[in-house]
Amino acid sequence: MSEHKAAPMVDEVSDFEVLEMAVRELAIEKGLFSAEDHRRWTEYIHTLGPLPAARLVAKAWLDPEYRKLAVRDGVKASLEVGVDWINDMPTHFGTPSDYCNLRVLEDTPKVKHVVVCTLCSCYPRPILGQSPEWYRTPNYRRRLVRWPRQVLAEFGLQLPADVEIRVADSNQKTRYIVMPVRPEGTDGWSEEQLAEIVTRDCLIGVAVPKPGVTANALRPVHPAVHPVQHGHDHG
Amino acid sequence: MSKPHYDREHHAKKATGIGDPQCFKGEAGKARFKVGDRVRVRNLPDVFYTRCQVYTRGAVGTVTELVYESPAAEDEAWDNTDKPEWFYSVVFRQKELWPEYPDLYAEDTLESEFSERWLEPA
Amino acid sequence: MTTADIGDVDMGRGLDTTPIPLLEQIRSQGRVWEDLAAQYGVTNPDPPWKVNLEGICDALSAEAYALPVLERRYEEDELSEDLYADVPYPERQLLALAHSLIRRGVVDEAELETRMKQVHERLTRI
Repeated sequence: MSEHKAAPMVDEVSDFEVLEMAVRELAIEKGLFSAEDHRRWTEYIHTLGPLPAARLVAKAWLDPEYRKLAVRDGVKASLEVGVDWINDMPTHFGTPSDYCNLRVLEDTPKVKHVVVCTLCSCYPRPILGQSPEWYRTPNYRRRLVRWPRQVLAEFGLQLPADVEIRVADSNQKTRYIVMPVRPEGTDGWSEEQLAEIVTRDCLIGVAVPKPGVTANALRPVHPAVHPVQHGHDHG
Repeated sequence: MSKPHYDREHHAKKATGIGDPQCFKGEAGKARFKVGDRVRVRNLPDVFYTRCQVYTRGAVGTVTELVYESPAAEDEAWDNTDKPEWFYSVVFRQKELWPEYPDLYAEDTLESEFSERWLEPA
Repeated sequence: MTTADIGDVDMGRGLDTTPIPLLEQIRSQGRVWEDLAAQYGVTNPDPPWKVNLEGICDALSAEAYALPVLERRYEEDELSEDLYADVPYPERQLLALAHSLIRRGVVDEAELETRMKQVHERLTRI
């Protein structure tokens, strides 16, 4: 009989775990929100991940009519990958951070989209899951709008000068995902195989899909090429 | 300064099962701008809760979509949801936003959304 | 063109970024998930409480009164670049949230400390 090893667990209670719980309990006692509200939000968040968005792109690559729908009506197209921007959320009218207006930005050989929210890192969570840390940093948010080519180069993505890079700043109620160009070497692939190479970073626009690449690259933090300097006039 | 009061129940009644911004459809009246119009971002006095980015102020771009109707963010924060506006997606050349943007990448653009009050004809 | 031109409307007016003793203590003594996971061989990149923290942020933004989203995010940015810059991501976000709530008078530092002791007792009780 094989020995079943229990999965490793952290066997101590950290101050941060305690702090989160204490803050939550006090907030509930002060009436900021109810325990029930909190439970429903965390349950909802648990369901979120990047797979539906990857499937949306894969389906669009395979079906020209669905592609047109995705570009014309992102909310409707989301329903076909199991995401209801309006009703899935505890509120039944979208979340207060995500709203209900997904737009799918279609890349072409001549136009590459990349997404940011300069104000506060808004992100299409219902279809893409929680945002990565780097997306939330002022470093990314301030620099992408102004030096997109440099920031993309840091992500390992360089594009010819005759390709238009279009930065989409989701500063209001619209949330964006990018539909990259389907790469070479994927003829005859199934929807599943295609979805596997559409990573979260491809859907944000900082990477392009490649056969064989199914994970997001690690993002080491390094100093900015153009550091943002407080109070310094760039003129 | 008094804090904004957010009337959850009113909004919930209006938007449940319909969505936000969908629930404001038809309330903004006639759109002032159409796709293809050249517009300039107005430099209105800074207010708390604005979502109109400073880096776009004064820039001229092209309307690419009438995206939805909604109360302006500046009103919504104070629960003034009586007068929704049309929201527009506007595309700018990066050269227009950042004078030092390299000429080599003259094709590069940026797209952002604005409620109607923030735009004027260019 | 200054960083302000990129779009930071001054919403941080009144944010007091001076250190809060209780949070400083947590920051210096608390064990972050990066270290705990490495020590115990757990591969999950996120601590189990991260989803709860996100739930708090969502619940607060739905409530929209005590700490509105844009203000909370702006303060989180300020604190993340300055006071809590050396803290890993989810711990940093949590400290920033606690900092904002304390500075706004929503939560009192002393009551938070007391509650933390009670929670710790509860969680470590055999």
